[in-house]
Amino acid sequence: MSARKKSQKPKVAFFDFTGCEGCQLNKLNLENDLLGILELIDLVEFREAMDDKAEEYDIAFIEGSITTPSCVERIYDIRRRTKILVALGQCAVSGGINAMKNNYPLAQVQEEVYGKDKYLFPSMPAMPVRAFVQVDYEVRGCPMSMPEFLHVLKSLVLGRKPEIKDYAVCVECKLKENECVLEKGMFCLGPITRAGCDAICPSNGQYCTGCRGLVSNMNKNGAIEMLKQHGFSVEEAIKRMAMFNTNELVKEANWGNR
Amino acid sequence: MNRQAKDISEMKCCFFDQNTTKQFIEFLMSKAKVIAPHRKGEKSFSFQETHNPEEVVLNYNRTIQPIKKFFMPPRETLLEFELNGKPKVKKPEIKIEERIFLGIHSYDMKAIRLLDFSFDRDKPEANYFLRRQKSVFIGIAYEPDEYHFAQDLGIDVYDTTGFSLFMVPAEKGFLIFEVDETGHRYLQEFGKGLPLDAELQYERPEPTKKLKMHYNRLPQIFSHVYDSPVWKKVAERCLGCGTCNLVCSTCYCFDVFDEVNLNIKEGTRERTWDSCMLNPFAQVAGGENFRPTLDSRTRHRLYRKFKYLTDYSGELHCIGCGRCSYFCPAKISLVEIINELIEDYNRQQQHAAVTVS
Ligand code: SF4
Ligand code: SF4
Ligand code: SF4
Ligand code: SF4
Ligand code: SF4
Repeated sequence: MSARKKSQKPKVAFFDFTGCEGCQLNKLNLENDLLGILELIDLVEFREAMDDKAEEYDIAFIEGSITTPSCVERIYDIRRRTKILVALGQCAVSGGINAMKNNYPLAQVQEEVYGKDKYLFPSMPAMPVRAFVQVDYEVRGCPMSMPEFLHVLKSLVLGRKPEIKDYAVCVECKLKENECVLEKGMFCLGPITRAGCDAICPSNGQYCTGCRGLVSNMNKNGAIEMLKQHGFSVEEAIKRMAMFNTNELVKEANWGNR
Repeated sequence: MNRQAKDISEMKCCFFDQNTTKQFIEFLMSKAKVIAPHRKGEKSFSFQETHNPEEVVLNYNRTIQPIKKFFMPPRETLLEFELNGKPKVKKPEIKIEERIFLGIHSYDMKAIRLLDFSFDRDKPEANYFLRRQKSVFIGIAYEPDEYHFAQDLGIDVYDTTGFSLFMVPAEKGFLIFEVDETGHRYLQEFGKGLPLDAELQYERPEPTKKLKMHYNRLPQIFSHVYDSPVWKKVAERCLGCGTCNLVCSTCYCFDVFDEVNLNIKEGTRERTWDSCMLNPFAQVAGGENFRPTLDSRTRHRLYRKFKYLTDYSGELHCIGCGRCSYFCPAKISLVEIINELIEDYNRQQQHAAVTVS
């Protein structure tokens, strides 16, 4: 078939860093959409990296957080080769659940995880991709939100700017007229967590753990006050907020570029 | 626009016991689609289509979403389009159907009248008015709870404006008042109510006194509190989550966006309810936000209710349903904000008086 036609499609690559692999495309329930996606793009790399196969990409999707010096080298290399870089899933976007270890001294973490092998692998605090290179777009969530991924992909293929939601999960929850779990005496991070998942947890009677990260310019004191009002201690409130948001909450790790 | 219906004491009335009430709901269901309050989850309520009269809950405090969701859905497709070749655009058809809204509180009815005004102001909102026609409303008296303050805004629990029938809970049943011609017809046709001639005994709840000033004076207050410290104080607790707008009976802002299908050949133009408390709301192209802080957003939200629209319509655009406060995760109370503004205003006046004398 026409090689020319094929080359008009954007060259797209996926790279995998430190994550649970829950965000990986091939693990997601994509059967119906996968063929459609392959129609839109020219998939040049999947998971393998740095062997000079496809010199350049139009779009690179990055999964996982940056946790070792070699990750840093690799992400630099990918950034050099790609026009657009998209962070995929909360590990890549904010360090995700990996970043919980950042609350403990690095030596202790290395000791616990690797024991006597601790100096075999250099390690560092789990950091989001944008702590090192420019990230153009983000697909949030743990695992990442599939509709949002498709929206970003379609927009980029059409040459449009994807619309990224910067408001609370409560909005989607209220649009669906869910009963608020706070009413039932549960805890919920929906009011300070970014929408985009269609409030999937509260829609199923579960509370939101904040897996999509915090809304920008979050009112942190207000959030703690809210959780206190609903019967949580300050420590508990901060601990709950930090589950997915260590890097966003810890000042020392203030890498934020927004 | 606000022709007050006559008082219920002057209306014809009959009595339905519980069983007759159920039969009456069945009768209504045979006439048209019936929308009524239902349970939602463990403690909440929602207006839903009635499939079984047993599921209708007539003693509810408030639903999560207001009735407007039936005239302007939280999300709707405005257009379907094709991108290939000549762009083709199609408008999805809106089904116009007869609907009976049962068990509506007087303030929610008032909210619909206010939305009628808002949506007719510049360019009539066609979809809203299409869905809005052929609606019949049957009101019900309610027991104000901690969050209701409709009476403080001049909306009586027994205000029957806009209703065809009005129900008042009584011992072992309901008093049914005939408000208009449609209501009269329904009762005639149904023919099962117990006629009541004797002096009616029912308890009217004490008027609430939650606001520290008469509602007539509120717009005037709002001419003086733009720079009040109250806004910053509220903003310390507010999370900007948007709930207060999204459950509000009279809010009407929406956001429009296009969604393209995976084949990138066709797509839809969608709209959803929006909220002026959210980050992106006041953001203009280029990323600048002209209401970046939560205090300026809260102020805007209240000014929309008590000043800006009021200057045009002569009416307050808050109906005291209490949804914004009841559902606020930070428990921010609109009544408290207004009372603090009133206090602030009073202080200003005192100060001015002292300076003059
Ligand atoms: S359940 Fe959570 S997300 Fe939903 S409205 Fe309540 S606080 Fe917000
Ligand atoms: S509701 Fe909260 S925890 Fe659940 S998917 Fe959405 S952002 Fe994540
Ligand atoms: S619901 Fe409460 S916390 Fe949320 S934006 Fe409104 S006032 Fe603020
Ligand atoms: S501002 Fe609050 S009390 Fe007033 S109409 Fe809206 S939701 Fe109801
Ligand atoms: S501007 Fe705010 S208060 Fe007014 S209708 Fe829109 S969302 Fe509601």
